[in-house]
Amino acid sequence: MVHKEETYEYIWIVIVAAVIAGLSVVMAYYGFALNLNPVCNATPIDIKEVEKLTPGVKEIGPGIYEITMIGQQFSWNPNRIVLKDPKRVIFKITSKDVIHGFQIVGTSVNAMVFPGYIGQFIWEPPNNFEGRFLIICNEYCGVGHHLMYATLEIER
Amino acid sequence: MRDIFKGSFEDIFSRINIGFAIILLALGGLFGVLQLLSRTPGSPIKVSAATYYQILTGHGVFLAVAFTLFFIMGLTVFMSTRILKVDINRLLLKISLCMTLLGAVLAAVSILTGKARVLYTFYAPMKAHPFFYIGAALLILGSWFTAFALFLQYLKWRKQNPDREIPVPIFGLLATWIVWIEATIPVVIDVLKVYLPMALLGASVDVLEARTWFWFFGHPLVYFWLLPAITLWYYLIPKRLGVELFSKKMAKIAFILFIIYSTPIGLHHQLVDPGVDARLKYLHTVLTLIVGSASMLTAFNILATLERAGRKAGGGFFGWIIKLPWRDPIFSGMILALIAFGFGGITGIINTSYQLNNVVHNTSWIVGHFHTTVGTAVALTFMVASYGLLTELFNRKVIAYSLARIHPYLWVIGIFIFSMNYALAGLAGAPRRTYDLTFGGMAPEIWYTYLKAGAVGGVIFALAGAIFVLIFILSILVNKGEEVRIFKFGNPHENLNEKHSVIDNIKLWIVVAVILIILGYSIPLYQLYSQGLSLVPPVAKGL
Ligand code: HEM
Ligand SMILES: [Cu+2]
Ligand SMILES: [Cu+2]
Repeated sequence: MVHKEETYEYIWIVIVAAVIAGLSVVMAYYGFALNLNPVCNATPIDIKEVEKLTPGVKEIGPGIYEITMIGQQFSWNPNRIVLKDPKRVIFKITSKDVIHGFQIVGTSVNAMVFPGYIGQFIWEPPNNFEGRFLIICNEYCGVGHHLMYATLEIER
Repeated sequence: MRDIFKGSFEDIFSRINIGFAIILLALGGLFGVLQLLSRTPGSPIKVSAATYYQILTGHGVFLAVAFTLFFIMGLTVFMSTRILKVDINRLLLKISLCMTLLGAVLAAVSILTGKARVLYTFYAPMKAHPFFYIGAALLILGSWFTAFALFLQYLKWRKQNPDREIPVPIFGLLATWIVWIEATIPVVIDVLKVYLPMALLGASVDVLEARTWFWFFGHPLVYFWLLPAITLWYYLIPKRLGVELFSKKMAKIAFILFIIYSTPIGLHHQLVDPGVDARLKYLHTVLTLIVGSASMLTAFNILATLERAGRKAGGGFFGWIIKLPWRDPIFSGMILALIAFGFGGITGIINTSYQLNNVVHNTSWIVGHFHTTVGTAVALTFMVASYGLLTELFNRKVIAYSLARIHPYLWVIGIFIFSMNYALAGLAGAPRRTYDLTFGGMAPEIWYTYLKAGAVGGVIFALAGAIFVLIFILSILVNKGEEVRIFKFGNPHENLNEKHSVIDNIKLWIVVAVILIILGYSIPLYQLYSQGLSLVPPVAKGL
């Protein structure tokens, strides 16, 4: 015997299940069919070897840049990046000391930065992105955390 | 005052825990106001950067970790002894009380003396004073003894009542402490394996290892805070309205979902961590949505109960809403907490939505999210429940009751102004955990607009908090034993079935939970350890 009130319960449960299924499918489609995933790649690096990296920007093809970035209490190196007409930017980021957070304000770039690992991810800046962007550290790294920022300039 | 320490040991235990929790709330709230003002552009009050990160550590630890834990310990024993009406093991409670208090004092000393500016997430390789980690370990291990005492008490009751169904509030408390054990085993492993060797011996650490164990703990932790609040909603709201809960079965199913799904989902806090497999992040995302459904069941159940009561009182299609006792702070506070939780739940779904996490991760959006969840759904529920506890546990009359009536409304108005604006600032990219948001004058103007508006809300709910703390403390000091029993917490009138169903088979759900935890975490841990750790030295400088 099913009470009237139980029917309401079941209807609600079906609605909730449908919402969950819908969201899961959309996220899977974007993630695995369109390859839109948050930063996931990392290679271990001996922290003593970080000194040997050369931080900075390299143009490895027309409009394709590779940026090696090193975070440390309380600065980013390089702290000023200029890109001319970028289509594709490959970031390789690590830290010399504690965890930092790499965020370019006003974009979807947001990744944790770990000592001991080089995180790698690709950013394709939309065509209308132009001018100066603020890069901040968004994970607490010590008493000067709020002083840790840099700039990115995009010229078209 | 002295009578606080008289009576049965169980009640003394509850009074000490709840009293201590309220002191922590006051202290943490004070830190909150100082943070709020310091980070608001143009504010005349600004502490130094070092002080800011020190009190921010205190704010997180005192409020999110300690206030909640002590309150829940006290509440658990208060409710379980009254509802189950069987003895609880006092020795276990004594051990629990001593260890947790000692742990809290050690951690507090390390924070207040400026030796632990590591925030409440204490991410390695940042290194704090050993007292910080030893304190945390004592706090957790000590709390386990309260859990054991409750489990034994329940088993004793079960022996005396072999077939009776479990009362909903007891089901909720059991779920709370089962989730707590699930949550804390990984953090104990983390502290013993990573943090104590680091703090005591200067051992090197792997950042991913430390974070994986930490968030294995960090998510079920939030359900440990939430479940007692939900338990109070299920228990007290129907009681106050004089109706039955809309569906006991649905309530228990929600608790079961929390038991089995709250742990294997911690990677949703590591969605932007390099070194974690995309497919695993996605898996944990989907499991998180499933545990989210438990909250949707809860909301439905409570709202349906309200409708039932309102209609019984003669309200029509919408008229039932005004028939509800909105002037009773315990009732209004809990409903407002539930509404805030709706906002917290929606922002939470956005946080966990995989790609969307990029937009909000570590921005002040998150600050908006947790002040509506733990900061209101939980904290406001505990605050208003304290009015009931004042009369029934502390034998006090609530003074200035008319102010108590305003407190929940003021709190929620403040929280909404604060959280909305902080959430919007976060969408515009403003970071959390930041003392100063100027960034050499390059920060977008719009951040300041939101931060200033948010500060107005912050001051409003801090004021509401101050009203509550004053009422609580003054009610205890003013010794008026005249009891205005509002709810009769301790007198369950639930009609219990003499036959229990599979839903009440807690052991089965624990087994399912363990299987899901193994499914959810075996691959991440396997990947972590099979790729080999990348060790880095601890860092104490700059903190
Ligand atoms: C009394 C009024 C309160 C005020 C004015 C307040 C204010 C704030 C502010 C401005 C922040 C952000 C700091 C930053 O990110 O730099 C913050 C963080 C936080 N608040 Fe509150 N808060 C209050 C009450 C509470 C309550 C009751 C809880 C929970 C029970 C709570 C839990 C937290 C947590 C967990 C954080 C994060 C700490 C971290 O990021 O390390 N707050 N609070
Ligand atoms: Cu930082
Ligand atoms: Cu979580």
